[in-house]
Amino acid sequence: MHLACDPLSALFLAILLPQIVAGALGAERRSVFFWAFAGGMVLAVLAAEAFTLLLGFELMSAASWVLVLRGDRRPATLYAGVAMFSGACLLPALFLPPGGIAFSLILLGAGAKAGLAPLHAWLPKAHPAPPAAVSALMSGGMVKVALYVLIRYGFVVLGGAVQPWWGTALIFAGAASVLIGALRAVLEVELKTILACSTVEHVGLIAVGLGVALRAKALGETDLAALALQGALLCAVAHGLFKPLLFLGAGAVKHATGSSSLDWLGGLMRGMPRLGGLMLVGCFGMSALPLGPGFAPEFLLLHAVIAAAGTGGILARIGFTALLAVLGLGAALALGTAVRVIGVGFLGRPRTLRAAAAEDADKPVLWGMGLLAGLSVPVALFPGIVLLLLNPVIAQLVPGANQPPLHYAPFMLALLLLIAAAGTYALLQRLASHGEREVHAFNGGFGKPPAWLPFGDPLTQASGTGFAEPIQRALGATILGAKFIDPGESYVLDPLRRLNVYFTRAAERVRRATIRQRLAFLFAALVLFLAALGFVQGA
Amino acid sequence: MSALTYPLAHLLGGLVLICAFALLSQRRLAAMITLYQFEAVTLTAAAFWQGFAQHELALFLTGFITLIIKAIILPIGLRYIVKNFNITRAVETAMPVGLSMILGVGLIGIAVYVVLPITMSAVTLTREDLAISLSVVLLGLLVMTTRRNALSQVIGFLSTENGLVLAAIGMPGMPFVAELSVALLVLMAFLVMGVFLFRIREHFENLDIAGIESIEKQGR
Repeated sequence: MHLACDPLSALFLAILLPQIVAGALGAERRSVFFWAFAGGMVLAVLAAEAFTLLLGFELMSAASWVLVLRGDRRPATLYAGVAMFSGACLLPALFLPPGGIAFSLILLGAGAKAGLAPLHAWLPKAHPAPPAAVSALMSGGMVKVALYVLIRYGFVVLGGAVQPWWGTALIFAGAASVLIGALRAVLEVELKTILACSTVEHVGLIAVGLGVALRAKALGETDLAALALQGALLCAVAHGLFKPLLFLGAGAVKHATGSSSLDWLGGLMRGMPRLGGLMLVGCFGMSALPLGPGFAPEFLLLHAVIAAAGTGGILARIGFTALLAVLGLGAALALGTAVRVIGVGFLGRPRTLRAAAAEDADKPVLWGMGLLAGLSVPVALFPGIVLLLLNPVIAQLVPGANQPPLHYAPFMLALLLLIAAAGTYALLQRLASHGEREVHAFNGGFGKPPAWLPFGDPLTQASGTGFAEPIQRALGATILGAKFIDPGESYVLDPLRRLNVYFTRAAERVRRATIRQRLAFLFAALVLFLAALGFVQGA
Repeated sequence: MSALTYPLAHLLGGLVLICAFALLSQRRLAAMITLYQFEAVTLTAAAFWQGFAQHELALFLTGFITLIIKAIILPIGLRYIVKNFNITRAVETAMPVGLSMILGVGLIGIAVYVVLPITMSAVTLTREDLAISLSVVLLGLLVMTTRRNALSQVIGFLSTENGLVLAAIGMPGMPFVAELSVALLVLMAFLVMGVFLFRIREHFENLDIAGIESIEKQGR
């Protein structure tokens, strides 16, 4: 067992550590499996050779399976199947000679574990199942470990044999993940499922960045590769901070109100102001708004995609332009998701008595969330410094690349905005009329209650489903179909289920065969064997 | 060795093959038993002729065993079963007789196709004898798979075994022990089958294994 810590390992270790600390603060301190899970992730990231890497990876899978099992049995079984599939793909891939087959297997194995598009349908089911701290670590950490394997092998171990189509495959998978993840995130009702779908979207963003970088590296465009890698790695850093934060918050909400369905929440900002504030910080990151931690990666990614459009033929131009549209759509939907979570879940009036009676979360959970929120502030305001820290990693992945400076300085922007706001405020104070006028009290934006509900009813507020209705009509029906089924479910999982039933029936038929049928089967096998023998000999 | 050695050996082998093929076409148990008896007699003649041609006393002994056990005792036993166990005399086939005969022709083709190229270096006598023996074995297996009646499956099995003996006597220098053990094996198998048939009849009042098949389908 060899361990080594090069810049890439150090980066992912730095992504993992705050989440592990936050998860441990958030109630999982005494669970052996939690520590086995965390240890497996650290071992996989620090591994110096393939065997240790695989050992850590599988330890991570097994321990997290036990933790998912705590939540529910069905997603745990699905999750175990996916984990075995990814293990079965990675095991031969790590020992194959560098080449297309090895990379395809890595992409399948690590992609399935990370939740990349055709193989993502398990993620929105399995990630919300376990307790919140484990969900947080799975969504923020485990997915990153899978991407770490992808980066480690795609760029470093198999780096000599890199082909442009590797990157193209990653870009396609990533774009599909962005689209489906973002769309499902804005349509789902369960808070933790929303967050899991958003994880699919962010994994897609990272994969798009990695794909552009891999393609550029294969084509010899090292500067472009560095730009795309900056975007992808910064996205990984930011996602590793705000997603565990949101999952911990969702767990606390469920603990306080007994439900995490948006349709049963509302008005939580009054009952749990600290948690609400921290969730607001997390949603700010999730939505890629300027001055938030999610903006700089998105900005870099869009730059990289625009630059990549100039590096290929007409097909690449068209494709990258379409990719821009997909990324833009993803960002808009992510913003919609964040607004919906805060607006429906935390603002407005409480829809149930429990939501009305919610009290702020326990101190340790708030400390854990506060740690993650505090760390996301420098990432949001000083992305240039984070990029400087990423320099050795990029130099390791793409040797000899010039790393372009970031043309976005949020701290200065924030300062300017602050000055402008302060100036406007002062101006208003000076110029505004100081007379008094009597108006109706602001009632939080609600319309006048209808005649048959004279005292108003919280259930007449727009629900989570109602909020998403226009998007469901405009996009959901075309991409997810009228029945609102994930394509990953209907085109990947369902055929597998049907295949399973088919093979089970075939096996049962063989088991029930009569003596004569078995005899005939053996006889046919013998005759076929003889015929093959004669054919080979005759030739 | 006279000039007659090969032609006569092939003629006898061919007669065994015709008997095995005719077994496939028969619908009645009595006719199948008679054909089997004729096959065994032909096999005896073939063994005697090979013993004479190869100057091997052991082959005469093989022929003698074949004559006693297969040509006399087994047919008598089979006829006894048919007569005393109240068996339906007509055999129910699992596929049309014409189709099974076409399949049989195909099997003979496969046997020739397999054996002749593989044994290119061997003597002519052995090669063609082997092709004929393999055909007889395959035809016997086909009889076993296409018949529903347990007794006709037994006859198919015995015919398969005749093919093996035919291959054994065609090989110069094949030790006698093998044939003796094969003959004993057949006797044992016949006894087992007899007990088996007896039990089936006890349970189902006839020897049609469709009863077992339905139980197998329901029971598991």
